This record gives sequence, C-alpha cells and structure tokens, in this order.
Amino acid sequence: MADKKLQIALYWGAACGGCDVAVLDTNEFILDVAAVADIRLWPIAADGKYKDIEAMADGELDLAIFNGGVRNSENEHIAHLLRQKSKLLVAFGSCAYMGGIPGLANLTSREKILETAYRRNPSIEWGNRVVPQPETKLNGKELEIPKFYRRVYKLDQVVDVDYYIPGCPPQPDRVRETLLAIVKGELPPKGSVVGAFDHALCEDCPRTKNEKKVKKFYRPWEIKADPDTCLLEQGVLCCGVATRSGCGVRCPTSGIPCRGCYGPPPGVTDQGAKLASAVASIVDSKDPNEIEEILAGLPDFTSFAYRYGVAASLLQRSYRQ
Amino acid sequence: MEEQRIGVYVCQCGTNIAKVVNCEEVVRALSEQPGVVVAKTYKYMCSNPGQEMIIADIQEHGLDRIVVAACSPRMHEPTFRKAIQTAGLNPYFVEMANIREQCSWVHDDPQVATDKARALTFGALHRVAKHEPLERMSVEMCPDVLVIGGGVCGMTAALELADGGNHVYLVEREGTLGGNVARVDLTAPYLDSARDLITALVTRVEEHKRIDVLVHSQVSSLEGFVGNFTATVETIWGDGASVSQFRVGNVVVATGYKEFDASRVVHYGYGKLPNVITSFEFEKMLRAGRIQTKEGKIPQYVAIIHCVGSRSKEFHTYCSRVCCMTALKYAHEVKSAIPNCYVSDVYIDMHAFGKGHEDFYKRGSEAKTLFLMYAKNDHPVIRKAGPGDDCEMLIEVNEKLSGEQIEIPADLVILMVGMEAREDSDAVARLVNISRDKDGWFIESHPKLDPVATTTDGIYIAGVCAAPKDIPDTVAQARAAAGRILAKTIRGSIEIDAVFAEIDEDKCSGCRVCNALCPYSAITYDASKKKSTVISAVCKACGACVAACPSGAIKARHFTDSQIFAQIEGVLT
Repeated sequence: MADKKLQIALYWGAACGGCDVAVLDTNEFILDVAAVADIRLWPIAADGKYKDIEAMADGELDLAIFNGGVRNSENEHIAHLLRQKSKLLVAFGSCAYMGGIPGLANLTSREKILETAYRRNPSIEWGNRVVPQPETKLNGKELEIPKFYRRVYKLDQVVDVDYYIPGCPPQPDRVRETLLAIVKGELPPKGSVVGAFDHALCEDCPRTKNEKKVKKFYRPWEIKADPDTCLLEQGVLCCGVATRSGCGVRCPTSGIPCRGCYGPPPGVTDQGAKLASAVASIVDSKDPNEIEEILAGLPDFTSFAYRYGVAASLLQRSYRQ
Repeated sequence: MEEQRIGVYVCQCGTNIAKVVNCEEVVRALSEQPGVVVAKTYKYMCSNPGQEMIIADIQEHGLDRIVVAACSPRMHEPTFRKAIQTAGLNPYFVEMANIREQCSWVHDDPQVATDKARALTFGALHRVAKHEPLERMSVEMCPDVLVIGGGVCGMTAALELADGGNHVYLVEREGTLGGNVARVDLTAPYLDSARDLITALVTRVEEHKRIDVLVHSQVSSLEGFVGNFTATVETIWGDGASVSQFRVGNVVVATGYKEFDASRVVHYGYGKLPNVITSFEFEKMLRAGRIQTKEGKIPQYVAIIHCVGSRSKEFHTYCSRVCCMTALKYAHEVKSAIPNCYVSDVYIDMHAFGKGHEDFYKRGSEAKTLFLMYAKNDHPVIRKAGPGDDCEMLIEVNEKLSGEQIEIPADLVILMVGMEAREDSDAVARLVNISRDKDGWFIESHPKLDPVATTTDGIYIAGVCAAPKDIPDTVAQARAAAGRILAKTIRGSIEIDAVFAEIDEDKCSGCRVCNALCPYSAITYDASKKKSTVISAVCKACGACVAACPSGAIKARHFTDSQIFAQIEGVLT
C-alpha cells in the first residue's frame, strides 16, 4: 500500500445509478478502500462539491471513476475537470464505455425527446407542460441549468480515457479486482478494457451449441427454452455471440438471453452490425417472403442490437431527423 | 513502419477511359498524395509496354506498392499481380481502381466521371498501403477420379480419363451401365443403333484395367477438397450391402435425367387411354421389333405429340432439345415398318438445329407425314373414338397455320416426353456441394466460357444433368470434363489462391453461427476444442462467414477490416 492515501473521485453522468450501486455492492470491501483512500467526490454516497475539485491542482487526484454517458453540459464539464485533475480516468460501466442505454436516444432527436418527456407524457398535469430551458428569468434573476445536448457521447468521445470497465453494471468482483490492481500499481497498458476477458461470452457459456438454423424468433416470455441448449439457436435473441465475456455468464445461466452490456469482443468495431449479420446468417430460409415473415418476429431490432452501443457504433447516431 | 513508396498508374484503355475521364487530372491529384513516388498515365497499362513500364519503375524507384486505375480487377488483376511479381514484389501488393466499368462506361459528364475516378483511386491508394504479403499454397493432387453415373456421359468421361492414365471409379446406381440411351432403339439423325453404341462403350469400360465399375452403388459422402477428396460408396448386393472408400482428386457428375411423367398432362389421357404411350415405351416396342396397339393390332393411324412437359408454363418452360428429331425418327420407323400407316406429327415448333438435323427434317417431311402445328398453350385433346369411327382415338388440334380446328384419327399416340432433373438431383448437389437452377439442373461455373466446371473446385458436371442435350453434345462435355481433369492432374499438385478466410482460434467462441453458412462447406467444427476452422483449400473467400462471425474471429485475408476502412476513408478524402 502507498504511504500517502489515494485520492479518488467517483462521478455519474447520464446514468441510472446502478453503477454506483455496483461499487457499493462490493460490501465491506468499500471500507477497505476508504482505509487506503480519500474519497473526494462521490455525489451518490458522500459529500463533496464541484468547487472543491475545481480548486485542486492538476493531477492531484490519483483516480477518477466516471460512470454514465455524456448527455449535457454538466456531464461534459465534469468529464474535462476530472480528466484535468486526475492521474487516471476510468470509464466505468456500459454508459461511460459505449453510451449505454441513454445512448439509445441517439436514434431520435433532442426535440422529440423533450416533446415526449415534457408535453406528451400522459402523467404530466394539464397546464404544467413546461419544457425546461437552459436559461430562465425568475424574479429578475437569471437561472441556469445544464444544456441538453443533441446526442449522447461515450466518455472517450469527450476526453482521453485510461481504462474501461464494461458492464451494466460491472460485476462487483471485477470492480474489486480492478480497484486492488490500481491500489497496488499493477496497471495494464493504457486504453485497456479491464475487468473482462478477450473472447466472446459463448466460450464461457455452458449451454450446448449446434449448427444454428432458426425458423422463428421468440421473445423470452414466448418460449420455454431448453436449459442446456444455446438460446440463440432456439430462436431467443441472445447477444452473447457478439459480447465480451467477463460478467460470469450470469444472464444465460439464469435462462435470460445476454443483453450485450459488456460490449463487443476485441477486434469488433460495431457490436450491433455484428449482431445483425449474425442473426441474418442463421435465418433458415432462402425464400424472400418467408425470410420477411421470420424477421417480422424481431420488433425494433436496432434497439436490440445497439441496446448499449449506439454512441459507440460506426454511425454513432441516426441521421434521419 | 518504413515509409511506403507507391506507384500509381492510370490507364486510358485506348479511348475507353480517356474519352470521359481526364486521366491527366487523376494523375495530378494522386501525385500530390503522401507516399506516391510515381504517378503516370498510359494508353494501355495491360499491354506489354505498360507492364514493362511498371516493372522498370519498381526497379528504378524502389516502389513497394502499386495502384492501377483501369478496368475491373476481374479482368486484369492477375495480369498486374504477375507483372509486379516479375519485378520482385509480392503479387498482392497491387490494388486496382475500376475507372472504366464504374466511371467512363457509366457516366457522360467528364467532370463527374473524373471526380469519381479520383475518389476510387484514392481509395485504392489508402487500401494498398495496408496490404500484407501473402503466399499461395500448393496442395497435392490425387490423380484418381470419381465418375458418378454410368450412362453415355459417365462412360465416355471414364474412358477418356483412364486412357489418359488416371484411375477411375465409375459409380452407377442401376445394375447395368448404359443409362437412358440403353433404352433407345436407333439414334437420330443418322439412324445408328443405340445398342451398338452402348455395347461398344460398356465393353471397353468393363475391360479397362484402370476403371473400377461399381454398379448397384451410390456415393454416400464426399469429403475434402480439390485434389484430396474421400468418397464413400455404398453397394447393394442381392442380400446385403458393402461400403467402400477411396481417395480421389476430382469428380465428374454425369447423373443424367429422368423422363417427364406424362400422366401429369391430364388432357392426353396417359394412363387412362391404353394406346397413349410415351416415347420410351415406343422405343421398347421398336427394340422388340413390333409396333402394335395394346390389343395386339397393327395401327393404321399413329400420332406423335411433341413437347409433352416441355415448353409449357405449367410444367417446364425449357426445350428438351432431343424430342423433335426423335419424333421424326419415329415417323420414319413407323413408315418403314408399316408402309400404309398414316402418321401425324403434332408439334409447336420444329427444332432442327443440330448437325444433319435440317436434312433429316426435310427427308421426314417428304415421307408423307401429316404435320400439324399447335400453339404453345393450346394443347391438343385426345378422346376415345366412337363405335362408328375406324380408329381408336380422335385428336382435336387447333391447327395454327391453317387456323382451323382439325380432328385426326389415331390408333396409337406417342407422347414425346421431355427431360427433367432427377428427383435426387438436390441430394447429389448437396453431396458434391454444387448448385441447381430453378429447374433442378446443375449450375456451371460460367454458362458460356466454363460450361463443365462448377463453383466447387474439383467438381465437374457433364451431359444432361446440367441441361437437356443430345448425345454428341453430351460426349463433347464428357471429354471436356475429362480433359480439364487430365490437364490439372498432370502436374501432381495444385496452387491455391492466398486469399481465403481464416479463424483466429483464440477469438473463436465456438458459437457455431458460421457453421451452416459456408456455401462451399469449407467450415468444420472441432467438438473437442469447441472451435470452428476454415479449410483454406476449399474456401473461395466469399466473405459470408467473415461478415457473420459475431466475435470477429474470422478474418478474410486481403479483405481485412483495416483494409476496407482505409479504402472507404480514401474514397471520402
């Protein structure tokens, strides 16, 4: 252990909070962390102000853990700030790594999102359909809220990132291992994806794999899938084929298809495109009409294949707006 | 990486390219790019002086990558690969930009065409920088050949190969050799005996020391790849079966055809009217030497109906090619056997395109045969004659030339049944890994320029299994397939292109998405390792598995992601 306590910060961008819970899910280990480290910022669990961070010298932090995507001007400001103040910046979880679930918003427009959220949502009271503006005048004073961007960015599209820990959320064990490695100074090459393996999930999945020929696709609730056979070949869309292993195959071993949260295996540029061609490749028909019919069983395929990866894809967003 | 020295050559293709694309401008734009040491344009890059220019530049300027902006790589990529290899470079260090088919031939506006030519050449420039040196592989070529089908086609191919010194395994499903021709009496147009023809072939085949004939046999599996197939053949004996296995380098598929089932055409009454018979049933009569009705009477009226099952929207749209001349042969044979018999020939068009056929038709038409033409989709109708008629049946024909409805008498009706793909053609196609067209015939590598090869190396098709044809055409194809194989086996080895897909075993997760995908069956799965592998000699580098591989474990040599992305970036520069 280092003589001086490690200075660390944790931050959430466009996120659900699950990544912070994953850190807490390391249970008593977090107390060990607290013993060797000063947590200078952790909005969800500890006190700490942005201005305190702003007042630090550059590189004063040893480690900044950023979860969530970059959705608004506040997220971007903190991303730059932490990059400047920290020796190491880690993109933590699928949103920081690939844009994640919030990144699905890149398939639509900012205007449509605000319209849905503040005007059309059935739970909004009549007469209260106010769309928040970045600047508001109230009682002669000017109020500011962060600017809502046109699209979501993954962290490394905004600042330079040292390491990536995938997962929605990352597995607590992987979190522990990674934090320990950093404490011990056992650092992998910059840019590494840590807390995960270098192969696809199927390699670790205990289900039996056969040649894949699918005549019909099922939503998970539509079929009682055989527990020992590959889900994909039973027609249940499982992303394991195009997903990096490291989660411990938790979903498929529980009967749930992999959702792809660990991102693509190394060497794959676009996870969704790979899933699309893999799924197209196993459709068991050469008749165009029948193929249409089989594929009609796949509702909203783009959101399925790019559930976590729109912002990280080749196109990064929809251009049809 | 050491800085690359790239040469760019823009071909004018005479005026083919230069009349629309401003080649000078393309050269100018390319010469300003980093890495480009030489950029030139020339009238014909593919000509000897053009190739020599590239070779001289490589040696003089120490070029290590070449871009040729010219025609389609399908046309001249081999030419330029060979040229740069002569100059000492790896043959895969050249990239072509297609500025003829994709620019000058399809655009009128010189500026647009020139801009596009520049963009495509930039793409090639960025791509060639990422090319990796590749080595072609040499695999052993087993000289033995498997011939599937013991008809005229299979026997001819077997004899040609065996005479050339190769050992042949000739596999025939039936108990005897001869195929469909063995069911025929005389052949058109020269009226030679089919029996004599077949007997001569069968005798030579059976006596040939380099031909193993396996009758009552079927090929149950064929594994491996060109030069190195393993064939498994099952032979059924009277009371049992045996399995034999042998290694072959090439395969000739000569599985022939089956005749169309005439009962499918309901208005001809085949199967219901006893004296409506098929051409093959008539051949049997001829071979027995007596033309007669079911009742044993000598017919006074014989009618021959063409295109039964052929040239019809309902059944097969194609022409079966041999029936017209066979019908004329029947008219001739009936007339010789029963001189006072009235013969009617009911046809759609008289197809007499082969050697000697037109003369044969002329002789037939002079022999007092009544020719009646019917329209393609207006079939004659056959019904039983009444008690007052002096014939067995009456045929109603809407005669096309006279425009009249004509009724003709018949005691015996011969249906000229067409050829169709055998019902096991799908199984055979899968066995040897070739494709079938919409009618079930096997598909050749190129319909005009490569008619006996297929898309699977080492598998050849000959005779009617590829499409209807007569005996001379079949024999020509059988000998062509044999010739191709002899030419390939004489060297003892075969060179395999260096462009193929390969699987990185560390990255393969064993998901098996690729397994059923390969159109050439080049992918195998190792159940103990739980990994898939590509047999590189079988791979045709189509890229289907590369695109499908969800874990990015399959890479196509010469078509890597980084090469393709570089090309896209180049085009967008």
